[in-house]
Formats: sequence, structure tokens, C-alpha cells
Amino acid sequence: MTKPLPERLMLLVGIVFAVLGSLLPFIWFVLTSLKSQIQVEAIPPTWWPDGSLEFYYSALFDHELFNYIWNSVIVASATTIIALVIATPAAYALARIRLAGKVWVLGGLLCVAMFPQIVIAGPVWQILERIGGLNTHWGLVLPYVTLTLPLAVWILATFFKELPVELEEAAQIDGCTTWQALYKVMLPLAAPGIFTAAILTFIYAWNEFFFALLILTDPAKQTLPVGIALFQGEFTMPWGEIAAASVLATLPLILLVLLFQRGIISGLSSGAVKG
Amino acid sequence: MAGFTLTQLCKSFGHTMVLNEISLEASDGEFVVLLGPSGCGKSTLLRIIAGLEAQSSGSVNIGNRVVDSLPPRDRDIAMVFQQYALYPHLTVRENLAFGLKMRKESTAVIEKRIGDAAELLEIHELLDRKPKELSGGQRQRVAMGRAIVRKPKLFLFDEPLSNLDARLRASMRVELKKLHQRLGVTMVYVTHDQIEAMTLGEKIVVMDQGHILQIGTPDQIYHHPINPFVAAFIGNPPMNLIEGSVHLEGQYLEFHAGDFALRLETHAHIETAIHSDSAVLGIRPEDIKLDIPSEPHLTLSGFIDVVENLGGDHIVYLISQEQHLTARTTPNSRRRAEDPITAYVPLQKLHVFVNQVRIPLELYYH
Ligand SMILES: Nc1ncnc2c1ncn2[C@@H]1O[C@H](COP(=O)(O)OP(=O)(O)OP(=O)(O)O)[C@@H](O)[C@H]1O
Ligand SMILES: [Mg+2]
Repeated sequence: MTKPLPERLMLLVGIVFAVLGSLLPFIWFVLTSLKSQIQVEAIPPTWWPDGSLEFYYSALFDHELFNYIWNSVIVASATTIIALVIATPAAYALARIRLAGKVWVLGGLLCVAMFPQIVIAGPVWQILERIGGLNTHWGLVLPYVTLTLPLAVWILATFFKELPVELEEAAQIDGCTTWQALYKVMLPLAAPGIFTAAILTFIYAWNEFFFALLILTDPAKQTLPVGIALFQGEFTMPWGEIAAASVLATLPLILLVLLFQRGIISGLSSGAVKG
Repeated sequence: MAGFTLTQLCKSFGHTMVLNEISLEASDGEFVVLLGPSGCGKSTLLRIIAGLEAQSSGSVNIGNRVVDSLPPRDRDIAMVFQQYALYPHLTVRENLAFGLKMRKESTAVIEKRIGDAAELLEIHELLDRKPKELSGGQRQRVAMGRAIVRKPKLFLFDEPLSNLDARLRASMRVELKKLHQRLGVTMVYVTHDQIEAMTLGEKIVVMDQGHILQIGTPDQIYHHPINPFVAAFIGNPPMNLIEGSVHLEGQYLEFHAGDFALRLETHAHIETAIHSDSAVLGIRPEDIKLDIPSEPHLTLSGFIDVVENLGGDHIVYLISQEQHLTARTTPNSRRRAEDPITAYVPLQKLHVFVNQVRIPLELYYH
């Protein structure tokens, strides 16, 4: 069914605005990253870059961007894996087991997820100092996991709840233990949810700035956002390098989302039960 | 081999008692049907046998082995769910193979079993499809196939046909019966459809509100229902039930329901008189004859209310002595609403219930 023309026009205008609005900063720094130093400093500013790659070269080699990328990959991957390994059984239990006060647990999780970071910054720092986690990657992964768990659990629990219980029971009768039923039947069916949770967790850990700045002071350990923010030299603001580095930092995320989008085939579970 | 025994099973969810002292025995190869209205606890009972639900008390014994502490996978059972519950991410072949792989059967055995089941159920062309590419009836077959390949001691079915349309349901019913005859395995079949129960069951267990009301063969249940509930639940159209009062003394039985009065003699001799105001006289629709039968009978005169033409049968709704009665008779195009009518009921076919219990009497006329 097609909608009437005015409605479609409004929809189109809305979409264009939303996309442009959210992409504008990105477009701007992509353009900036491709300019030359002279262009960046030109007044009035020029729009169209001359396609110079000097900022990329400088960001990668003068500012040791590879080091930051590598640190970010480690921290974000570790966070994602650990968070999912913990969140999956937790979400499954919350979705399946009849538990008094389950609503409170889920509600509590959401509340925790909404804590302002500044409130927990002090305690996190103190704890890490005591256990020797400052300036280590695991010291950063720890609060990341804690902070991403609620959302991951929430997303996964929603997915598990929608899967018919009969599938699990059929698996148990077919010879599975509870664990086998979980990973042979329920997990493949919850794949879209797992991908979603994984991507969100990864993006969070990849982009997080505040805790990374707080916990990692050694440049050799720092992650991308912190590294890029600390590009600034003594006298100059290297806008071009920052833009180039930001583009490089964003690319893996875009790639990741495009890659996993294939995995997120919803409606995978249709046909399991009647309907 | 494997029959099963249930001993005084009770189940409550919180404070609600869902099953009450359920005891039941089935011999090897028997087809047992659990029949009852929605919410009576049939599925819960089946799930307890499967081990998917734990009983509150009582014991389950399958094939001379107490299985109370065993998880479903160790009970050597297979279950077909109402919603089929096929694994959506696996093909039909993988669905069938799943249980066998879990039990570490060899590839050769798995291939053979799948081949046999596919032939039996005629699902060869479907083997490489995913469940969502199947029709309801095909999913049903695959679900049965998944149960068959496992060669379990006990098959459990929870209303497996209720999602199919009427025609398909009838043909699957026949196939299920054939399947049972071929495999000769004990089966427990849950349904609230009395036709399925009558046609499939060798032993019918009629349940209501967590209690077993009656256990018997289809004929026993049909011809000797133990109380008015069972009597009304089995049969279509349902049995005519006339509520009134009864007086039993010596050799005489008197039944009153308003204008409707009956005085009969019995072979039994009742020593102490019984009087009850909660009596029910039951007459099956097909036992109301419109031609005079040769055996001793009751004569009812009244008029026709409505005639329903089913083609092979006519359902005649008649009113006699203020009682609304349903008769199933052979077609006769001359019957019209409002026409006077005389109907006859052989005395042997009367069902008498006093205080909700069947009174087994051989009745004849004084
Ligand atoms: N997990 C549960 N928690 C609480 N009550 C339950 C639970 N499962 C079933 N019941 C209750 O137990 C009773 C029996 O349920 P059951 O599913 O066994 O009925 P049924 O005979 O199979 O009905 P139907 O024909 O509708 O499937 C119902 O009153 C139901 O509400
Ligand atoms: Mg049920």
C-alpha cells in the first residue's frame, strides 16, 4: 500500500534532514581530513578539499595512530566478549526462570545503565588504584563491562523472551541438557539479539572517552578517543590530523555494522511455531 | 517393554491444585487418550510424564523404571507439541537428525532412520527445506518424524492436530492410528476433542478440574459414562440430560422432572429406599427412535421444534412434556417444525444418574 503523496513528501524531507543532520559533522571532518594544511588555515574556509593525504600520513606515523587503534581493538573486543559471555546466561535466566522480583532486577539494571558516569568515576578510580588496575587495559575493561552489561542483558533478555519455550523443551526431550539447549537451539535463534548487543557494546567501548582518560595516563596504553584528543601540540591545534584520525577511527565501526547487518536477519525464528 | 504407571500424582502451582491424586496404568503398546475440557490439567499431566514439569507428589514409572529424578532426556520419550516446535534454524533433515546426534548415533544409523521416517510420513521432498517453508500439515508430519526417528519407549502428543483444518485433521487422525498400529509403541495423546478420543483411544481417561473422572475403553465411556459430566462430554450431539428427582424402592424406580414422569421396574431389588432430588436421566440422541422398536421402550409424544439436515442424518430437536430433546435419525423430508411427533426410547438405553453417579440398573416396564 502506498501512502498519499503529501505524506510521502513529508517523510522524505524528514529522512533527508535526519540523515544530513547526523552526518554533517562527519562529512565536515571527512572533508577537512582531505585538505592540505594551507586549506585548513584559509580564511574564509574553503569547502572542497584538494584530496591531499598528508594528514592521514601524519596522523598514522607522526602521531602513532596504530598504537591507539591497537589499544582500542584490544579494549573494545575484550569488553564485548566478556560482557556477552556474562550477559547471555544472565539474560537467559532472567527471561526464562520464574523468579520473584524479576521485574525489579530488570528495572535495577536499567537504572544502573543510566547512572551519570561522574557519580561512579571516583569510586572506580579508587577501586582500580587499590587493585592495581590503573594504566592497564584490564583496568579499563572492568568498568566498561560493568557499564555495558545492563544494556546487553536487557537486549538479550528481550530476545530470549520472544523465543518459544517449546523449542527449548523439544531440545531437552531430544537429549539436550539445559546448557546444550541454550547453545544449540536458543543461541542460534537469538543471533540477531546477540549481534545487536555485541555491536552496541563494541561501539560504546570504542568511543568511550571519560573513563579512558581517567584510567589510562600512559600514552602507550591509551585508546583512540583519548589519543586523538591529546594530539594537540604545544602551540598548534592539528585540526587536519584530528580529522584524519577521526575518520580512521570511525571506519572500523562502519565496517563492523555493515558486516554484522548480514547476521541480523530478523524473522529467523518464524516457522518455529505456527504462524 | 514399556507401559507406564502413574501413582497418585499431585501438582499445584502456588496454592492452586492443578492435578489431584492422578493414578493411571497403561500396558505396553497401548494408545491412551487424556480427554477433558480446557484447563483441566491434561497438558500438565503430560508434561509431568515427560519430565518438563515436576510433580508436587506422587510417582511416574515408565517401563518398570521410576523416572521421577530423571531429566526429560533420560526418560526415553518423544513428544509432539501442539505448536510443533521445529527448530527454525535447521532444515527438516537436521531437525530429524538432531535428537539422534545428541545421542551420538552413527551417521549410517541416522541416515537410515531419517530415510525410514521420511518414507513412512511421505516427507522425502521436504527434507532440505526449513520449517518456515512448510505448510501446517507438513510441519505436523515433520514433528511426528522427529519423534519417530528416536524410537522412544513412549510417545507423548499434546493436541497435535488442533492447529490443522478440519479435513486435514481427519486424515491425520487416521494416519496417526495407522502409525500406532505399525509402530506398536505406547502413546499418550492429549485432546479436548471427543471424536479424536473415541477414534484413536484404546483407553480413554476423562479428566475434569484436575481429577480423573473415568478410565475406560471408548465403548465403556460411551455406553456406560460414570457421571453426567462424562456423559455430556462424549458424543455429538451431546446426550440429552433431564434433571429431576428419583425415588428408588424395592423393584421400582420413579423419575420426575416437572410434567415428565416415569415409573419403571428393575431387576435389582433395592432394600433401603433411595430418594434424591439431584437425579439425571440421560438419553443419547441416536437412542431416540422415531419408529416403534421391538424391545421394551419409553414413548414420548410432543412436537418438532427444529430439524437440521446433515445429509446422511437429521438432527431433530423436539419438545416433549416441556423437555427439550435432541434426536439423531435417518432423513425424512416430511418432517416440519411444529409437527406433532411420537418418539421411542428403548429402556436398555436409558442412563440414570443419582447424586452425580451412574446407577447400573436393568430397567423394564412395570
Ligand atoms: N506454569 C503455570 N503456572 C501456574 N498455573 C499453571 C501453569 N501451567 C498451567 N497452569 C494452570 O493449570 C491448569 C491446567 O493447565 P493445563 O495446561 O494442564 O490445562 P489443559 O488441560 O492442557 O488445557 P488446554 O486444553 O487449554 O490446553 C490451568 O488452570 C492453568 O491455568
Ligand atoms: Mg493443554
